Amino acid sequence: MVSQFFSKFILIVCCVWGTACVTVRPEDKELLADPSMTFGADGKTAAHDEHVFNNREGSFGAGGVTGGGCGCN
Amino acid sequence: MRVQLVSTWHVPLSRRPLIAGGCALALCVVFPATARSDARASATTTVFREAGGPLDMTVITPSVNLSGDAGQAVTIRAGWEADIVSGASVRVVDNPSSEVDAITSATKLDDLRNTATGGVTLRSDLASLDLDYSYGHESDYRSHSFRIGGRAELFERNTGLDLAYARGFDRVCNLAQPRAQEAVDRQAMPTSSGCFDSDERESLDLSIQTFQGGWTQAWAPVFTTQTTVTVQLLDGYQGNPYRAVWLGRSAAQENHPNNRARYAAGLGTRLWIKPLAGALQTFGRLYRDTWDIQSLTAELAYEQRLGGSVRLRARARYYTQTGAAFFSDDYVRFPRGQFFTGDRELSPMSSWTFGGRAEWTPAPGDDGKIGFLRGLRLVGKFDVLIYSFDDFHYGQAAVPNDSAFVATLSLESTF
Repeated sequence: MVSQFFSKFILIVCCVWGTACVTVRPEDKELLADPSMTFGADGKTAAHDEHVFNNREGSFGAGGVTGGGCGCN
Repeated sequence: MRVQLVSTWHVPLSRRPLIAGGCALALCVVFPATARSDARASATTTVFREAGGPLDMTVITPSVNLSGDAGQAVTIRAGWEADIVSGASVRVVDNPSSEVDAITSATKLDDLRNTATGGVTLRSDLASLDLDYSYGHESDYRSHSFRIGGRAELFERNTGLDLAYARGFDRVCNLAQPRAQEAVDRQAMPTSSGCFDSDERESLDLSIQTFQGGWTQAWAPVFTTQTTVTVQLLDGYQGNPYRAVWLGRSAAQENHPNNRARYAAGLGTRLWIKPLAGALQTFGRLYRDTWDIQSLTAELAYEQRLGGSVRLRARARYYTQTGAAFFSDDYVRFPRGQFFTGDRELSPMSSWTFGGRAEWTPAPGDDGKIGFLRGLRLVGKFDVLIYSFDDFHYGQAAVPNDSAFVATLSLESTF
């Protein structure tokens, strides 16, 4: 069980580190900085949205985090 | 309604609307004469309305949020939110006393929840740390919640990693029943009167721990993704103290397990469609928990920019879930062991959501301002929800309130 957990953990870490090969240059990030391309840009309206769904469904979580990874925050 | 107000400090208050003055005054107290004081205020109100037959539910959720930067590295924020609830619900699910229509046992309910929040963000060039606290107050519920979250930007800011942990210390009011030895002997609480100060009521603990991780990745100049994983552990009373379930000879207060572990993983994508100058947005989520509920969420949206100041977004969302292991539509004929529930959200269900969102962000003038504000954003949003509860009935009657709408208005400003 423990070895399975660590093998999955190492796989995830390798995947994340593998993204170092993916480079979008700063001068190419104009579209990524657009609010419609940014996660969590809806702010409070999205929070109210989630509040409704959390109370009307039997599940919860993984709704996302803020920030776009676009260097524009 | 969500209102965010932003203005510069040197404009005389007498020329500003009352709300802007109030916000400015509050922020002046928090951020006196810092070298760089960006202040933001927002007000948002959501109206949720669900109706059908004798059952209905209206929830009005207003919120106000203020934040300000104390220099480059620190942001302090405070907020307030309320839930104003009114409606009619079924007290005894599957009660045979109303043979024709079990829903005629519906009773009126009113409730008010207030939540105050406060927090601080500390940031450097490539990382940030959030610390938050919130206190929730209802006539029958109290909660203290602490959250710590961190974010780091890696690989020329193409990768963002988030980690957060939240801890909730909640207390739920229930009817004190020292002579009830078994769950089937417990009666539903009639009212919240006397909660937290009467011997006829007891206070039950609920501990909530939430772990969340996020990975945001820019893959190309027009494509980015976000993966989120959430684990939540709950320990304590998780039922509705007002709701009872008909068990054959009598009705007993619903009895849920005290422990629940919830696991969810979500993936969001954003793809810029160059010919249309708009963004295609998708979201998918898988969920399961130790009550044996499994669910799938899928959302497709498209956001279009019109000119420089208007954005329109349309979306469709589908949700489906299995029922809890102890759910039964009829506990007299099909009992499920020691636990029983009258919660329709623990039954197998699905729902569709269709809606739209419009956002207006006026362009600043030559001086970089909009009147006395540095930024202004007005957002209106409307969604229709359609539920399907194929395996949940009130006696012989299907769920009548199987559709709802959600309307949100928000105003944000920066000053």
